[in-house]
Amino acid sequence: MSELATLACREQFATPEQQRETATIGMWAFLATEIMMFGGLFTAYTVYRMSHPQGFEAGSADMNILLGSINTAILLTSSLMLAFAEHSAQAGNQRLLSFFLIATIVIGLVFLGIKFTEYYQHFQEHKAPGLWFEDSSPHASSIQMFFVFYFIMTGLHAVHMTVGLGILLVLLFRTFLGTFTAHYHTPIMFGGLYWHFVDIVWIFLYAIFYLPGLHK
Amino acid sequence: MIQAAAARIKKNYLNEKIGLLSWLLTTDHKRIAILYTFSITVFFFLGGFFALMMRLELLSPRNWLVSAGTYNKLFTMHGIIMVWFFLIPSIPSTLGNFLIPMMVGAKDVAFPKLNLVSWYIFMLGGCVTVYALFRGGVDTGWTFYTPFSTSYSTTYVVAAAVGIFIAGFSTILTALNFIATIHRMRAPGLTWFRLPMFIWSMYANSVVLVLNTPVLAITLLMIAVERIAKVGIFDPTLGGDPVLFQHMFWFYSHPAVYTMVLPAMAVISEIVPAFSRKPLFGYKAVAFSSIGIAVLGFLVWGHHMFVAGESTYSALVFSFLSYCVAVPSAIKVFNWTATIHRGSVSWDTPMLYAIGFIGLFTIGGVTGLFLAALGLDVHVHDTYFVIAHFHYIMVGGAVMAFLGGVHYWWPKISGKMYPEGLARLSALIVFLGFNLTFFPQFILGYLGMPRRYAAYPEEFQMLHVLSTAGATILGVGYVLPLCYLIWAWQYGKEAGPNPWRATGLEWKSSSPPPTHNFEVTPVVTAKQPYDYEAMKEELQLV
Amino acid sequence: MNEPTMSLKKYLLAWLGLLGLTLLTTLIAFVNLGVWSTVIQIGIATIMASIVAGFLMHALYEEKIIRIILAGGVIWFLIMITLTLADYASRGWLAFSHR
Repeated sequence: MSELATLACREQFATPEQQRETATIGMWAFLATEIMMFGGLFTAYTVYRMSHPQGFEAGSADMNILLGSINTAILLTSSLMLAFAEHSAQAGNQRLLSFFLIATIVIGLVFLGIKFTEYYQHFQEHKAPGLWFEDSSPHASSIQMFFVFYFIMTGLHAVHMTVGLGILLVLLFRTFLGTFTAHYHTPIMFGGLYWHFVDIVWIFLYAIFYLPGLHK
Repeated sequence: MIQAAAARIKKNYLNEKIGLLSWLLTTDHKRIAILYTFSITVFFFLGGFFALMMRLELLSPRNWLVSAGTYNKLFTMHGIIMVWFFLIPSIPSTLGNFLIPMMVGAKDVAFPKLNLVSWYIFMLGGCVTVYALFRGGVDTGWTFYTPFSTSYSTTYVVAAAVGIFIAGFSTILTALNFIATIHRMRAPGLTWFRLPMFIWSMYANSVVLVLNTPVLAITLLMIAVERIAKVGIFDPTLGGDPVLFQHMFWFYSHPAVYTMVLPAMAVISEIVPAFSRKPLFGYKAVAFSSIGIAVLGFLVWGHHMFVAGESTYSALVFSFLSYCVAVPSAIKVFNWTATIHRGSVSWDTPMLYAIGFIGLFTIGGVTGLFLAALGLDVHVHDTYFVIAHFHYIMVGGAVMAFLGGVHYWWPKISGKMYPEGLARLSALIVFLGFNLTFFPQFILGYLGMPRRYAAYPEEFQMLHVLSTAGATILGVGYVLPLCYLIWAWQYGKEAGPNPWRATGLEWKSSSPPPTHNFEVTPVVTAKQPYDYEAMKEELQLV
Repeated sequence: MNEPTMSLKKYLLAWLGLLGLTLLTTLIAFVNLGVWSTVIQIGIATIMASIVAGFLMHALYEEKIIRIILAGGVIWFLIMITLTLADYASRGWLAFSHR
């Protein structure tokens, strides 16, 4: 066991390896709670999509598919950048690590920028339930329900993105301080797990909000 | 003389550091357990005060003490505080926090800082809820049923929901901590089947909490969004579905019942072998029945909605699955009784509580089967029968076990013995007071007295008066331990490391334990836990 | 067990696969296949999610317990949605049989 590795181990653990394994279990169990949290919203969405099929398709037809699919590609690319960052961390290459972290943060910000452009468009089209919602179609209340779920779910996703960006900034700062080495880089891996998980959520959000109305 | 005595006192987790800050910034799981004990005691007596007010109001068939509106707020705040700020955190956050690292032979939980953070989150959630209370309370009932909670109630629903939402994160973090600790922090030689049953039950409990609490969070979030943004997620006039709320709420709240009783079972599984001087009967069956309860507990939530418009076919399935969950619960009860059978039983206070638990839990469980039956449930739904049923599980079960556990481990926690005679007396008072409070409610419910009413027909007065009388006795039974346990902390006899001659790693350490629990990391060689036969030989040798 | 390490090539391939599947599911969505549209969209999304979890989050290369936790989360979500939908789907059955 190298001296560095010993330093990185907290007192309640016998070895750094035990510490990493324990923390990994904790991290994944946390992600399981996130599955259930978004799962509750997916369940509610599914129930309402079954009871309001036309309204949900009509609502989905109002989505900007171009921005939506570009955003999906952007988010997947940010995940790739972060995967590269994890790889650099494992190799102990701090310069590459900070480069890829910055790339992830920038791409993540672009995603949020595009997302808020979309929100702004919906608002201008008076499709913001609770604030300003107008629709003359016979399915108006169903379309409103679609948009309620659209805003709650993508909004919660955006909150997760923002938290993720905050985590990445802290990780970047710690990288500059030289905290992470080839022996100790668990926080980078966990930042990655969180970010990739948020990615997975988006993959499903894209499928249930952007695609159903596309054939119209 | 005093100095000599002081010199004898070893460094332990209580006296190693002193001062308020050393407590508020501690990462020691034992001190955090004490912080939690303090907080949940406050919440328990706050919730108990509301219960007492309700019982007093129900002395008379007419409103005489509080208005009907205030009564609604009383039972809501009683429910919210007792469920989320006492029952769910009670055993896990106090005894669990204290004992899990000790029982697995670790220096601390896996993430000590997170453990402290979760106490602060809990207190924040508690403060927000108490704020809602002082602003005028909530009148929706602890279940927040829509559309009343979203469209009609004019009380502080959002504030209370936010408080519970925040407290939920504390629960999740504690559960994550336990899962990671139990998986990877066990002492050398401590395999899964050498673990005390406490650990198995707490593990099952943590798994349930991790999987169901996020659903509560998201459901409350939707309620808050609906109230604030005036959109119709659960509002039928806007295309929403109130029954969906019930589905999501009970997906959380039914397993939540098991998160109240699984830790109680954890405590009982420790007390019964220790005071019967026998290994736990059918160790593996009891271990897997905890997992069985955790899994099956998630498949039965629909039995809360039999009369809410749920489809008959779905109700049939949920009814059947609800019967299934009785099997692992019964396995536990049978195995505890089989452990007591032909044991050399000593009737110390923890054992009195454990015996009380087994009896009351059985009554609560069997009346649960009444409610799982489709036909009977229509008759007794939303009556005092339901109230009596779940109080037998939660007060007769969870609170009895909590008190039993506190008495059992108090010598370990404080290093002092409490006055045994007084403790036995108060265990008896709790048992009698409890039954006098809640048994009449079974009859009330069966005769048709609906829950959540401040006034009632005069023919029910006799039973209500009995129930109120019982509640005052129960109150005395709860105040007594509070007094003598605090007294014992200061003036009790020295307990020594193992006053009950019990097995388990926590008893191998001194009382109170040192900050890092063990002088040397223990190595476990015993083939099974609760090896009281081997212990008998050891004691005879001594 | 040691920390799983992945080659850059695998990361790149996973990313290309994800982009390809995004394109595929978007193109298929332009065709109206009725209920199959939804099945295909959710199916492809599940495949994409598995790629992210398996490779980018290296769940495939972790210990068994990690995969159990992940499976637990997914299965419990499926329990919630299945039993809830079972209620809604079987609501009309009784009325239908009386007709």
